[in-house]
Amino acid sequence: MAHITLDKVNKVYGDSFHAIHDLTFDIRDGEFMVFVGPSGCGKSTALRMIAGLESISSGEVSIGDRVVNGVDPKDRDIAMVFQSYALYPHKTVRENIAFPLRMAGMKSAEIDAKVDEAARILELTPHLDRKPAHLSGGQRQRVAMGRAIVRKPKAFLMDEPLSNLDAKLRVQMRAEIAGLQRSLGVTTVYVTHDQVEAMTMGDRVTVLKAGRLQQVDTPQNLYNRPANVFVAAFIGSPSMNLFEAQLDGETLRLGSQEIPLPAPVFETRPSLRSHAGRPVIVGIRPEDIDDASVTEKRAFAEISAPVTLVESLGAETLAHLEIDAPQVDAEGVDDGTEGRRPASAVGRFAPRTQVRPGDRARLAVTAENLHFFDRDTRLSIW
Amino acid sequence: MADRLTSRANPDVGKTVINGLALLLVLSYAVPYVYLVSTSLKPAADVQQIPPSFFPDRVTLENFETAIGTAGLPQAFLNSAIVAVLTTVLSLLIAVPAAYVATSYRRPLTVSFLLFALVTRMVPPVSLGVPLFQLLKSLGLLDTTTGLVLAHTSNAVPLALLLMAAFFENVPKDLEEAARIDGCSRFQAFLHIILPVMRGGMAITALFSFIASWNEFLFALLLTSQNSKTAPIVIAEFNSVYGLAWGPMTAAAVLYSLPVILVTLVLQKQIIGGLTFGAVKG
Repeated sequence: MAHITLDKVNKVYGDSFHAIHDLTFDIRDGEFMVFVGPSGCGKSTALRMIAGLESISSGEVSIGDRVVNGVDPKDRDIAMVFQSYALYPHKTVRENIAFPLRMAGMKSAEIDAKVDEAARILELTPHLDRKPAHLSGGQRQRVAMGRAIVRKPKAFLMDEPLSNLDAKLRVQMRAEIAGLQRSLGVTTVYVTHDQVEAMTMGDRVTVLKAGRLQQVDTPQNLYNRPANVFVAAFIGSPSMNLFEAQLDGETLRLGSQEIPLPAPVFETRPSLRSHAGRPVIVGIRPEDIDDASVTEKRAFAEISAPVTLVESLGAETLAHLEIDAPQVDAEGVDDGTEGRRPASAVGRFAPRTQVRPGDRARLAVTAENLHFFDRDTRLSIW
Repeated sequence: MADRLTSRANPDVGKTVINGLALLLVLSYAVPYVYLVSTSLKPAADVQQIPPSFFPDRVTLENFETAIGTAGLPQAFLNSAIVAVLTTVLSLLIAVPAAYVATSYRRPLTVSFLLFALVTRMVPPVSLGVPLFQLLKSLGLLDTTTGLVLAHTSNAVPLALLLMAAFFENVPKDLEEAARIDGCSRFQAFLHIILPVMRGGMAITALFSFIASWNEFLFALLLTSQNSKTAPIVIAEFNSVYGLAWGPMTAAAVLYSLPVILVTLVLQKQIIGGLTFGAVKG
């Protein structure tokens, strides 16, 4: 096991495409770190640079106390699980799992014992003599895991290993991988574009956008204290609702409506007062918008908005609303309409709500849980 | 009711038409070969009968006896086999690693390399005959097995290279990378993982290289005279100024086609695997 450090790591393809910008963070010994971000954000590139499959344009990558910039992948003592599993199709499950041990020159008896142990842990024992083509998706995934864990490497690197599985199996394997990592205690870097995977599996999560680090933090902190608009919108499903609003003293003007802000909002965000009289970006999580007529919340501000769509999910109801306030694009891409068009928003209503599309709903907004961002820098205001 | 019947009947009619056309296509391939076999089994008198008969009235093996007894033919068969096997081995030894490097490490140079291989396929073989003749003459390799192997290899390598490059394009890059993570150097990853995965592709490439050499006529005609004559040359000599020995000639041609048919049958599984390689997700 080892800690992994990235220090001002850059990746530039050719002369022009800068894929990774000054990536700097530390992954602690035994930690489960998740890289998450939208497609093309550089999360897989960062992982491949740690693996040694991608060269580093500048900066340093260290595994343990050793700088590994010029070290061949085979000499980094890491194991990797690929999105495609990359199982060797001509080898049986046993031979696949045994391959890294054979390459390490281990004796046959020892290899057999280790393969049997890995197969037992992953419940692959009955399939040891089968070829990958004769296995289900879930079993192939386990073989890929087996090939990784059999060596007891310094670190596991996993590149979207669950994305080829169906939803049910993904949930099951998610728990299994997290459990396995905890029991083995091996430092793990896990790449995913699925923020639910990131939130449920990682000790800490690294959020990337366009090759730049946005935030490294625990899942709970990412959710409760996002560093900027992008992280706020990326983490959480449905996404945080983002609007442009005006802060007037202790009142937030959201379009034509007003939300009085309670004292704790200013106590937890001392610099918010300095934004008084200026436009800010305000974020409201869907669970902080409820149907005021049925809500059990005790402290809330009331606004109203037309309902455009109602999705009943059984345990909750998602109400799509049209808020009379300018929309904010989480990606920071202004197509010329940002700040002008009315915002669509989602509220997570109690299931007993009676609202229907076309109604004008009374909304209970938990003002204490609002998020505030600087309109220019898009950074969180604390 | 009538409409329903028509709509139900139409797919069957379409299927029958397609099957009929497919049969016609297969027959167009098969007819010349069936006629070759049929002629080889006809008695001498029937071979030149006018109008010719498609099937023999009486089956005889006398043409095969004559062909096998013809001086030089067994040796020519042996020469053909040696040249074809060596050409195949040499072509694979050159083309497989070259194609792998050209497809795995894409650079302008490697792209040009593959393009150049394609261009050489466009050059008429006859225009290469004279330079090859002079080259082998200067090396003292005229009328030698080695000389013919080199000539055939120069002809087979571009095709083998293009075929193997197409197969390598379909090998997921993850496989080599997984092997490198699992402790292999690049060469070990190629040897232990990529090559075994490419068995189907290599079988097809080997077969095409073998057939290209086995059937080759022009270079063999130009570059051999006595010692290393291959079977196509000797078979052609049945038709000489002294007469037209159609029966023994067709018998020799049938015998000569058997190894290729046998090899194709033996490698059937790999060939189909190779041809459909990458067509479906595993």
